[in-house]
Amino acid sequence: MNMETEAGAAPPEPADGTPRRLTGWRRQQLAGWLFLTPAIAYLLFAFALPIVYNVMLSFEQTSPATIANFTAPYAGLANYRFIFHDPTSRAAIVHTFEFTAGSLLGQFIIGFALALLFSIRFPGRTVARSLVIVPWLLPLIVTGVIFRFMFQAEGGAINQLLTSVGLAHHPIQWLNDPHLAFWTILVANIWLGVPFFTLLLYSALQDVPVEVKEAALIDGAGPWQRLRLVIVPIILPVIEVTLLLGFVFTVKVFDLVIGLTGGGPANATQLITTWSYNLSFQIFSFGEGAALNNVLLVLALICSPLYLLLSRGQLRRSSGAAG
Amino acid sequence: MTRRQKARAKRWLCTLAAVAALVMILFPVYAIIVGSFESTETLFSGTFYWLPHAATLDNYRTVLQGASGNTQETVTGAQSGNVLTSLVVGLGTALLALAVAVPAAYALSKYRLRVTVVVVSSLLVAQIVPSIVLATSLFIVFHWLHLLNSYVGLVIADGTYAIPFAILVLRAFFFSLPNELMYAARVDGASELQTFRLIVIPLARSAVITVAVFAFLAGWGDFIFALTMLNGTGIEPITLGIYSYLGNFSTDWGAVMASGVFAMVPAGVMLVVAQRYIAAGLTAGSVKG
Repeated sequence: MNMETEAGAAPPEPADGTPRRLTGWRRQQLAGWLFLTPAIAYLLFAFALPIVYNVMLSFEQTSPATIANFTAPYAGLANYRFIFHDPTSRAAIVHTFEFTAGSLLGQFIIGFALALLFSIRFPGRTVARSLVIVPWLLPLIVTGVIFRFMFQAEGGAINQLLTSVGLAHHPIQWLNDPHLAFWTILVANIWLGVPFFTLLLYSALQDVPVEVKEAALIDGAGPWQRLRLVIVPIILPVIEVTLLLGFVFTVKVFDLVIGLTGGGPANATQLITTWSYNLSFQIFSFGEGAALNNVLLVLALICSPLYLLLSRGQLRRSSGAAG
Repeated sequence: MTRRQKARAKRWLCTLAAVAALVMILFPVYAIIVGSFESTETLFSGTFYWLPHAATLDNYRTVLQGASGNTQETVTGAQSGNVLTSLVVGLGTALLALAVAVPAAYALSKYRLRVTVVVVSSLLVAQIVPSIVLATSLFIVFHWLHLLNSYVGLVIADGTYAIPFAILVLRAFFFSLPNELMYAARVDGASELQTFRLIVIPLARSAVITVAVFAFLAGWGDFIFALTMLNGTGIEPITLGIYSYLGNFSTDWGAVMASGVFAMVPAGVMLVVAQRYIAAGLTAGSVKG
């Protein structure tokens, strides 16, 4: 290994400049770079390139014929004008907001309730806690299909239950009524996200010092006061991270909706992701699809400064000091 | 009621609440398993049976041997080949993730590199990028590179689910290894590569398993890249197979259910075999620094 030719090596540290250490330091720089190179190459190819190319595509006038050419004629802002005027694209953006807000609300309330439940000692707690993560492990398309099965008007478990307890007299057209269909994707996604919220909030609750809880108890705080004034403020950072990650997961949802409603009926459950898929891969209008993708990307990346701020622990530990 | 009795009643009440929650959480999984054993007549009878009704293995036979011939479906025959395809894709994703992530995580935790902060920030942001954005561009890029309809292309795309996560989780783990280990190896004359291969990797076994399990499940369960990168001919993973059973007007529910059960198997196996790794992996990398 000839390390003298390694151009990427940084200049030597001025503080400790004995030649022997210098060589060791160089050797380590080289090794570190070699270990990191595949990851950097992968990030550039699988993330940076598609993102940049997606921006390029959104300004191009694409057609099925241009796919083979890699580039297409410049289109200016035409693709963006299209998606902000196209009623379905606009509806998809609105649906995405509603879907995300509704999902986060439901996931947080149920997840927090379960996390509180699991922090009480009761028989069967360990088993229950380990089974909670089951929804998270299934392929998302399977989850979508299962809910499609359960929400069927005829022979679906949900209608069967509702009619047998007398809450409904006729089969409810969950998947054929545009308003109700939106609720089905919301319910399915809440079901999907609850384990994640439960697990993260549960582990945060475990970290609340017992002394603090006892002190509040001695001071005569009721259960609700203890929760609101003592526990929530302590675990607030975790709540923030959990909601942020929940947001990021939810704006990405695709498989679930494709499996459950396919975006229908009458595009009532089209989200940005599913409609972008339609634009790009059903009608081969990649430019318009890419423009819609960029709206989604901006929406998702709005969170990234906040996310980086909340993850600053990971960033600050920038080196483990092997030199 | 004495205080002790009250405390006991409270605990059993909690158990009851947990059981109720679990019924709701597990019911969909139960429904698909029961449904997979129902006959076509039962599935289309307009009634959902809470317990198996006239159980049969017909759906599994259809799924394993191919459609019985009464539908016009030709693309979606047997799913047994698809299961194999999904296994290959899952294993490929796990291997790629490990090959890229283990050395990278080591470099990002144990070496003082100037790019560390930039790379770690990029990884955090990469986790946010929606797959449809990547899929749209990668479709054209792969078309150009002749990687559509190939295992290589699919595995590279599926790696986007697993690799940023894998690097961050492994990095958090490597921080827990004392630097003295590396010093000692160097003093004993080990090269950097030897230190990594003979000291670090064996110690990181549990974290490596966690990451491999997650990468496998990501590749196995991927739908969006399979849908966009593969166009019906040649390789078809099970997720795509399930999707092709869903018709616009008529759905072959029996086949959907049975292949859905097949698709759930790895998750079930992992839950039993690798439970502790999964629980660790779910929380690691997202909250704890």
